[in-house]
Amino acid sequence: MSKVKCSHCHIEFMEDIMINDGDLKFCCNGCQGVYHLLKDDGLESFYDKMGNNTIAPPIQVDDDVTKFDRESFEKRYVKLTQNNDKKIDMIIEGIHCAACIWLNEKILSETDGIIEANINFTNNKALIVWDGSKISLSAIITKIRSIGYNAYPYDRNIQEQEATQEKKEFFIKMMVAVFVSLNIMMIGVAKYTGYFAGIDDEILNAIHIAEFILSTPALFYSGSIFFKGAYFGLKNKVINMDLLVASGASLAYIYSIYVMLGGAGQSYFDSVAMIITFILVGKYLEVIGKKNAVDTLDTIKSQIPIDAVVIRDGKKCEILIDEIVVDDIIELRTGDKASVDGEIISGNATFDESNISGESIPVAKKIGSKVYGGTINLDSVVRYKTTCDFEHSTINNIVTLIEDSLRSKPDIQTKANQLSKVFSISILSIAILTFISWYIYNGLFENALINAISVIIIACPCALALATPIASLMGISWLAKKKILFKESKYLETLSKVTTVVFDKTGTLTKGKLNVLNMSETNLNSDTLNMIYSVVDSSNHPISQSVKGYLENEYQNLVSHTLEDFKTVASKGIICVYNNDKIVAGNRTLLEENGINVSIQSTKSLFLVAINGILVTYFELEDTIKDDAIKMIKYLKSQSINIIMLTGDNTAVARTIAHKLDIQTFESNLTPIQKANYVKKLKLNNQIVVMVGDGINDAPSLVSADISIAMGNGADVSVGLSDIVILDNKLDGVIDSFIISKRTYKFIKQNLTISLIYNIITIPLAVFGYVIPLIAALSMSLSSLLVVGNSLRIKKK
Amino acid sequence: MNGVLIMELVFGLLLSLIVLGFMVWGAKTGQFDDGEKQSSGLLFDSVDDLNDAIAKEKKQKENIKKDKIN
Repeated sequence: MSKVKCSHCHIEFMEDIMINDGDLKFCCNGCQGVYHLLKDDGLESFYDKMGNNTIAPPIQVDDDVTKFDRESFEKRYVKLTQNNDKKIDMIIEGIHCAACIWLNEKILSETDGIIEANINFTNNKALIVWDGSKISLSAIITKIRSIGYNAYPYDRNIQEQEATQEKKEFFIKMMVAVFVSLNIMMIGVAKYTGYFAGIDDEILNAIHIAEFILSTPALFYSGSIFFKGAYFGLKNKVINMDLLVASGASLAYIYSIYVMLGGAGQSYFDSVAMIITFILVGKYLEVIGKKNAVDTLDTIKSQIPIDAVVIRDGKKCEILIDEIVVDDIIELRTGDKASVDGEIISGNATFDESNISGESIPVAKKIGSKVYGGTINLDSVVRYKTTCDFEHSTINNIVTLIEDSLRSKPDIQTKANQLSKVFSISILSIAILTFISWYIYNGLFENALINAISVIIIACPCALALATPIASLMGISWLAKKKILFKESKYLETLSKVTTVVFDKTGTLTKGKLNVLNMSETNLNSDTLNMIYSVVDSSNHPISQSVKGYLENEYQNLVSHTLEDFKTVASKGIICVYNNDKIVAGNRTLLEENGINVSIQSTKSLFLVAINGILVTYFELEDTIKDDAIKMIKYLKSQSINIIMLTGDNTAVARTIAHKLDIQTFESNLTPIQKANYVKKLKLNNQIVVMVGDGINDAPSLVSADISIAMGNGADVSVGLSDIVILDNKLDGVIDSFIISKRTYKFIKQNLTISLIYNIITIPLAVFGYVIPLIAALSMSLSSLLVVGNSLRIKKK
Repeated sequence: MNGVLIMELVFGLLLSLIVLGFMVWGAKTGQFDDGEKQSSGLLFDSVDDLNDAIAKEKKQKENIKKDKIN
């Protein structure tokens, strides 16, 4: 059977399951509905714009949209423009490509009453302005849902406004600096050629003036952040990198003005612009990282439910989550997300706790079981009594913890920074000594000052500034080729110094999917096998899917029959009838409830099948370890790195996996916050910690670690908050990250040594007044070339 | 000869500063805020798309004007 593309979402499916609609094929009714809606509205050009991209099938949401029009909701999320129109910030879910943005903006802007709809492709945030007298917010959200997307409101907070403003400010400053540097270097070619080939004084003066005009905005506009940083550093009695950059660049600038006005020596306007540009680009990348983290946090927040159904005085009422108090009774329907923690008082249901525990297998809950904020009720109606308000709920604690950790994420001081501090103090001292010595020696103030400034300038420029960035760039590009994304170059150095690696279990070390280990009875006749196959084929539960996959691998010519009276029993299994034979398939509880005696002892998850009250077979299932996990653990051990496994799963499962992987230290039954606290405790014991994880439940510990590594297929939240992302999800990526980081760090140290040796040779020349133009010109290029050339060797292995 | 070179330098500098001025203006007015949207937007350049863009801009300008009057 061949695969065909769905006419709407472009995802390929087996031809036999597609819905035929004339020449068109659809994977689901949702896609079919949206396709016809777009066609009726004359928006078919969406598919041309989509090109070869695929989008997710339409999101089906069937909750009550009138809550968006309630006064309490408006009070919290809707703001008024000067014109008394309403505006709201939202995050649009389901955006995959530029065509999705086009479609949403187009359909909204053509809707009567909507004044402005602007969606940001980078972070999927939208600003919608509408005339409240013409259209309601619920109608706008219904419109977005009708074309297969969904929208959540979010609170644009001060933190985001500051991050956006800072990003814009840095972008403009960097743009000016880069632009100026490119021009100044172009003019500089003429100047440097002139040293060797000869140049008229008139032309040299013109070049100096042009360089002066160009470098002035670089120093005072783009470089203003360094002056600010230096000022605040001095105010707090700290010598920081900003002071060095500001003082080095300012002195070079003043000295160059002196040369331009006819003084002896060389101008260094180009160095001023280059130093500012290089360091500013690095800072801009940091600002982008910060802004992305804020956006990711908004995405988590937007997933917190807005309201809850509370039973008060025997009546159901919907209230905002902030209004929930302890001992309120909350009703959760199928698909609802719990907003606060509590205990079930009526009903049974299965909950998706992957947000909290990381386990993808749903958990069965009954009366007395605890419900955690952020978990989703999958299959029936339950009522639970709250044990806390929203502020103290698990989901809010996670968000708060992430927010706090992002704000206070420690910055491990890098070698280059440490060296620069010592270096700058030494250079400043040498310069002062030079000035005093020359003044005592010949009594000429100007001569003494120029020699002192020469010391600073010749010591300051490129080699030291280039030593780290060039080597890092080579390392990062090599890692990118191996599908490993380092968000900042400083992590190369930190990773090479790591002492402890903490792993999440499910999804990181294991595949996070239950696989069938064995089937108890293999000599079943084909009729029985087909009946079992039909049952698991009719259910989307992960266990049924694993059993289905196992049967398809082991047996051929299986046939899926149509079953009668098919009934899914929440969190237990399936009951159905085929040809008057009653089939009960599921866990031990379901079979026992149906009067079937189960005497099997197993520590694994069981899927049992009984036909007409007789147990015919059962399957033992277990999560399997990723193929490259053992190799990676061996490598880390060979590097004398401590390995720890943390999991929300139970102790027995954790022990089995830890034993198989030869991991001595592991902790089980941990909540996300306990995981984060464990990581923090390790750091307090002077360990440099890497956290490797994949789920939303790992987010707090990822942000608490010195460096975090996320698997690319993990939750968007963990990918967004991590420092390193392994795009192909292979644990080999962890080994490569360590190997390449260590090699790059080795070259960073070599480069720093080269630049130090260069300074040891040239500084005495400056001290004794021998910095003639030829030496200045040669040393400017030679030191930089040495560092760049050495860095190119990183990949030669 | 020197005069020509200096003139070239002056004009080159002037033009590049004008270009820089436009870029700064673009950045300040938010035209580089959403890099991905801007770059992929280049693909949508049919007559209908351009008309849509003009209509959208007009609607927004009218709204800003209305805001100012109020």
